[in-house]
Amino acid sequence: EDKIVLRLSSPMSETDQRAIALTEQFGPGVSSFATFEPHWNATLFKQNTELEAIARGNLEMSVTSAQELAQFFPEWSIFTAGYVLQDADHQVAVFNDAVMDPFKQKVEEELGVKLLAPMYLGRRHVNLRQSRDEVDVRTPADLAGINLRMPGTDAWQFLGKALGANPTPMAFTEVYTALQTGAVDGQDNPLPTVVDAKFYEVTKQIALTSHLVDWNFIALSKAVWEDLSPEQQQAVQSAADAAAKAEREAQLKKEADLRGFLEQKGLAIYEPDLDSFRSHVQKAYLESDFANDWPAGVLERINELGH
Amino acid sequence: MSLPFALCLLTLFLLSAIGTPIAYAILVGALIYLGVAGQDIALAGEQILAGLFESFVLLAVPLFIVAANIMNAGTISERLLSFCVAAVGRFRGGLGHVNVVSSLIFSGMSGSAVADAAGIGKIIVQMMTRSGHYTPGYAAAITAASATIGPIIPPSIPMVLYALVSNTSIGYLFLGGILPGLLMGVVLMAMNTWISARRGFALEEPVPLRELPRKTANAFPALLMPAILLYGIYGGVTTPTEAAAVAAAYALILASLFYRAMSLRALYTILVESARSSAAVGLVIGGALILNYIVASENIPNLVAQQLVGLDVSPLVFLLGVNLLILLLGCVLDASTIILVIIPLFIPSCRELGIDLVHFGVVAVVNCMIGLITPPYGILLFVLNAVTRIPLAEIIREIWGFLAVLIFALLILIFFPGVTLWLPRLFGYGG
Amino acid sequence: MNRAIRWIRTLAEVVSASMLAAMFLTFLLQIFSRYVLQEPFGWTLELCLALWIWIVFFGCAFIVRDREHVSFDILYLAAPARLRKVMALISAAVVAIALLWSLLPTWDWIDFLRIKKSATLKVPMRTLYSIYALFLIVVAARAIWSFIHTLRHGAPDHELELLSEDKS
Ligand code: NA
Ligand code: NA
Repeated sequence: EDKIVLRLSSPMSETDQRAIALTEQFGPGVSSFATFEPHWNATLFKQNTELEAIARGNLEMSVTSAQELAQFFPEWSIFTAGYVLQDADHQVAVFNDAVMDPFKQKVEEELGVKLLAPMYLGRRHVNLRQSRDEVDVRTPADLAGINLRMPGTDAWQFLGKALGANPTPMAFTEVYTALQTGAVDGQDNPLPTVVDAKFYEVTKQIALTSHLVDWNFIALSKAVWEDLSPEQQQAVQSAADAAAKAEREAQLKKEADLRGFLEQKGLAIYEPDLDSFRSHVQKAYLESDFANDWPAGVLERINELGH
Repeated sequence: MSLPFALCLLTLFLLSAIGTPIAYAILVGALIYLGVAGQDIALAGEQILAGLFESFVLLAVPLFIVAANIMNAGTISERLLSFCVAAVGRFRGGLGHVNVVSSLIFSGMSGSAVADAAGIGKIIVQMMTRSGHYTPGYAAAITAASATIGPIIPPSIPMVLYALVSNTSIGYLFLGGILPGLLMGVVLMAMNTWISARRGFALEEPVPLRELPRKTANAFPALLMPAILLYGIYGGVTTPTEAAAVAAAYALILASLFYRAMSLRALYTILVESARSSAAVGLVIGGALILNYIVASENIPNLVAQQLVGLDVSPLVFLLGVNLLILLLGCVLDASTIILVIIPLFIPSCRELGIDLVHFGVVAVVNCMIGLITPPYGILLFVLNAVTRIPLAEIIREIWGFLAVLIFALLILIFFPGVTLWLPRLFGYGG
Repeated sequence: MNRAIRWIRTLAEVVSASMLAAMFLTFLLQIFSRYVLQEPFGWTLELCLALWIWIVFFGCAFIVRDREHVSFDILYLAAPARLRKVMALISAAVVAIALLWSLLPTWDWIDFLRIKKSATLKVPMRTLYSIYALFLIVVAARAIWSFIHTLRHGAPDHELELLSEDKS
């Protein structure tokens, strides 16, 4: 009989840890009844249009982000806020806790998208072209006047402002040249991105602000899910969990390993006064419109699940 | 090839052949593909809209078109033309050389060949045709051919894309592109000399040398434009895309305040005409976006990959084979699709065969840029047609000679890795 | 009728020119805010992209003339008048039918996007993309008009049109 085809579209490249884990763990995990057909580099659907493609029945799978979900459901901005999630384990705990259920349910009902498992993207840090002699980042005040490239959505821009910097939206493909020429002073991404996008060639320091422990979700069409037998559903869920776990471990290891690599490339890597950043950013969020969209009690529950 | 895909291509080619605008031919072909394949008809519009809505770097295209139209209306191009005629008009093919050299200069401030062709392309084509010594088709063809140099010399968006998929240094790739870009300029100028002599393109009336200072002074503010844009980019004021806006602003200031050759009424006309050209160009680019979706939906990249598993050949044969494939794909596929989807398939083999990845990347990007001018589906040909209204047939008739020398340059790059790698090695590249 | 069309054309030209001018100024503002004010406006990029989409589809619907589109007119121009008429009729009919056929499914998708807000400006994506539906309608209508016109008066001759336009 014909197998189901599970097409996944995502902007990540096939060498990304998430792509590797999905190819090596998810694909084989469902191969008895489904063909996993990934399309990397956004070749099938453009970045941030995959959810509506799934909703319209044009795609089966994607790797979505809290930022993308917040474009549909503003309350998701709580998972894009700085210093809310603490680490990879905290992400898993939050995802599996009942506090996530209403969030997931709404996505299933209104978009027809089922979120299977959380993937770990890494800790985002501030990566600057200036040397530490020129800019030494201890507190948010030290980022005053720094043009920090951040993705062009208001959630990202707000986070940049909350960090004390001047957030600058710019296409990712232009960031390298802009760092080289000084059109921007810095960018924020996890260490693996700093390496993959070669930003270390044109920057001199990384302040380990860990301002966002970023995550993604393996997303599957609800309609496809409901057509599966209970055993098949079980297999899909296990395969997604296995991929997420493998990815998390690989990404954590990569993050740890890359610190040495980047230091060897001559970058100064150091930890600023995290308490000062945390309180500054959290205060900014609580005073903002974003917090109005957050359901009562969710932030408290997330904090309880941390340490 | 699946039935829906075959029907799509058939529709596209038949409609194009009977004179339907290419963008509409693609749109109709795509709708037929989606309908026959049982997919959502809305995907055609979805792909164009979503693609254009995230194409930040393409925003340089309408802005460069505005800049070009202001320069033409504001006597700036005229002054430049008169300076160029005085400087090089006595030489055979002089303005053709000016065309190539100006592309080399602009390649330092633009990361996209389409933006180059839409911007300076229009100015220089009008200069060449106004002088009366070149056919419009020839002027457009040499412009399209030299616009391919843009993304070879840094900054370059295709090189950034290649670096992301190949894990090579952007800095070394940028350095690696400089000599190949110059080489492309040299072979194009050689071809221009040869054709100009053979076809007997008339020479300009020699301008007495004593008039040169006056003509230079007259054109000086306009000649400053590249310097201002280069300073803007390398001084960290603007991104290469934003430089297009600075170009338009500078041209506007020159035309209205300095040369006093621009009225509000004229500016309005320029904006309307620029909006017309931009819309036509945007629609063709949108068409390319749908074709990319169809190719991906047919899973063609993976099918190509399966054919290539376990190839056992020498590095040179491998390189030649890959380049032949890219050249063929370039006739139907968009450059960024080739770089992001097809090229990564070959990178493991390159590593095994000991082919340097910076060398491979520069060669592949040069090849993809050549693909932008290969008929029938060459986006640079379309863009020049849209902004200059020179018939596609005339441009294509004149493109072959330039295509041939660019492929010759590509072969030199393949056979002599040193041309690419000399500069990166000078700056410490270990490969 | 003709006066109405001329009036619509003038209005469309004003709108297109304004959108292009707005994009140009927004770009300058973006550079100014980042480099001079050191306080980059986050919304400039998305506004430019939105304007770009509107310039393309509004422009193609209302101000781009048929012969200004990129096309291979080699065979068309070489064909004898009767064959040319057939080509023009097929072309117009196919475009009109195909675009109208796609209109409702496409609108269904655009309408669905009312629940998605653009990332920075927070405008519903339906609003941004609605111009594409208008584009489909207007281009189909123009194709139908061109079909009828060709049926009555024969195929348009691009080269002659171009000459008369240049002289006027
Ligand atoms: Na360049
Ligand atoms: Na091509």
